[in-house]
Amino acid sequence: MPGKIIDGRKISAEIREELKAKTDKLKATGITPGLAGILVGEDPGSASYVRLKEKGALDVGISAQSVRFPEDVSEEELLKTIDRLNEDPKVHGIFIQLPLPKGLDEAKALNAILPEKDVDGFHPINVGKAWMGQPVFLPATPIGIYEILLRSGYEDLKGKEVVIVNVDDLVGKPLASILVQAKPKAGANVTLCHPATPNLTSYTRRADILVVSVNKPKFITADMVKPGVIAIDFGSNWIEDPTSKTGRRTVGDIDFDRVKAKAEAITPVPGGVGPMTVTMLLANTVKAAQMHAEE
Amino acid sequence: MPAEIIDGRKIASEIQEELRQRVDKLKEKGVTPGLVAIVVGEDPGTLSYLRGIAKGADPLGIFTETVKLPENVTQEELERKIEKLNQDPKFHGIILGLPLPKHLNALRAESAISPDKDVDGTNPVNTGKLLLGEATFFPSTPYGVQELLVRSGHSPERKRVVICGRSNIVGKPLMGILVQKKKNANATITVCHTGTEDLPSIARQADILVAAMGRPKAITVDMVKDGAVVIDVGVNRIPDPERPGKFKLVGDVDFDAVKERASAITPVPGGTGPVTTAMLIANTIEAAQHLAER
Repeated sequence: MPGKIIDGRKISAEIREELKAKTDKLKATGITPGLAGILVGEDPGSASYVRLKEKGALDVGISAQSVRFPEDVSEEELLKTIDRLNEDPKVHGIFIQLPLPKGLDEAKALNAILPEKDVDGFHPINVGKAWMGQPVFLPATPIGIYEILLRSGYEDLKGKEVVIVNVDDLVGKPLASILVQAKPKAGANVTLCHPATPNLTSYTRRADILVVSVNKPKFITADMVKPGVIAIDFGSNWIEDPTSKTGRRTVGDIDFDRVKAKAEAITPVPGGVGPMTVTMLLANTVKAAQMHAEE
Repeated sequence: MPAEIIDGRKIASEIQEELRQRVDKLKEKGVTPGLVAIVVGEDPGTLSYLRGIAKGADPLGIFTETVKLPENVTQEELERKIEKLNQDPKFHGIILGLPLPKHLNALRAESAISPDKDVDGTNPVNTGKLLLGEATFFPSTPYGVQELLVRSGHSPERKRVVICGRSNIVGKPLMGILVQKKKNANATITVCHTGTEDLPSIARQADILVAAMGRPKAITVDMVKDGAVVIDVGVNRIPDPERPGKFKLVGDVDFDAVKERASAITPVPGGTGPVTTAMLIANTIEAAQHLAER
């Protein structure tokens, strides 16, 4: 029996409904959650991503603002703006659209965001607390993957073998940080693999849950997974497709059709983890506003 | 063929020798590295650990001091003391003896230590930097494990490392250190724990197996692949069968049996322990250098 296809769009819509209810409640107490984004330069991909975040925020009742700088903005001016947003009581969450143009120190800018407003979870103190198992903001992709697992009925993670092919700060490391903790709905045996890990198949074949983000089409083939795997794909690759109007389409890192035949469940690309990322940023923003309200 | 026994004491004394030269250079500039340990109550384990550090630091000419606070000290008093030491130019490194009595919040106390003086790497901001691969102080035990592997010729690069134990002081930071895309790291890492059902089958995959569970003989020979490198971080005090009424220290690995299958193994005592101490001293010297350069 082929695997269940996990519908990320549906899960994302469910979460947005819940967020809408939460923002309504907050508004009744006089607090409108606020999200502020910072965009430097003219990269069209980054600009469209910021628009998606703004639109998503407004849809669930979060007020959104973005500050746009030209490519050659000085570090000083950037930091001054971060300070201003840190102090603005109407802003509960701040994100900087990455990557920043060369010449700007990303770590320095990210470290300037107040940890309580760091809804991307990139500040070292939030990274550190998350690793220690403390409740803090975590980056959107790993919490999106985690929500997908929980809401698809995979809550019992204790002792499960989770293999993550990605060791980045945005995906692999923070996801390990969620799943490795000695807590309910966690406590997995987590393995972090590099895409270049020798004999990668010997790891991926052991996985009860396999998470991949390497941006290489068909990187994970059917012979690399065990029957009954739960396969989570956070790859994004353009491939040529003459049947498509544009001549190309997006695929993930997993050889979808063949792995699906073997898997218990699988996320598609598009429509899997992707729709979750903006939603989880919004969820963090609402959480920040709630924490602010409780102070 | 029985395994190579990795001599932690010898590696530690090599490191000490290198550190001595760095201390001498600092002294020429008029800087004496200083390390202060805060101890709450009279936990014998903590005090003996600190004696070990002083024994390593004194011959190098590093200034050490222990601040003892009574068992019933309040959180505010403890944090005020830490703040005072943060400001004190004599000290470049501050460590806090753990565990703290139950009424105190360790994370809050650790967070109060200035990140620049946090030579045990327990302030969450330093934990975060470690995971992000930014420059910071590594907690001394996992730092020592990395150093021991590299100096004994068993670099973790591209190797399969299985860490048994997920504590905030050993297992998790060691994963953070060894997973980075850097020299002497770049390993593929699995973290598992005492609750793992098929621990033997996971542990048997390891090229490098690190035991940090705090349980004698937690790692038995059936859990070790032929030719694996076995690093034992455990320190357990058990009754000594040969000397009734006395105790002895053992690790987490069933040493005698495992050494027949492994290619290299660290003993307890005399394995990771001495290197841990050396790395804490190395961090203190590093902190003194940073502060001297300001």
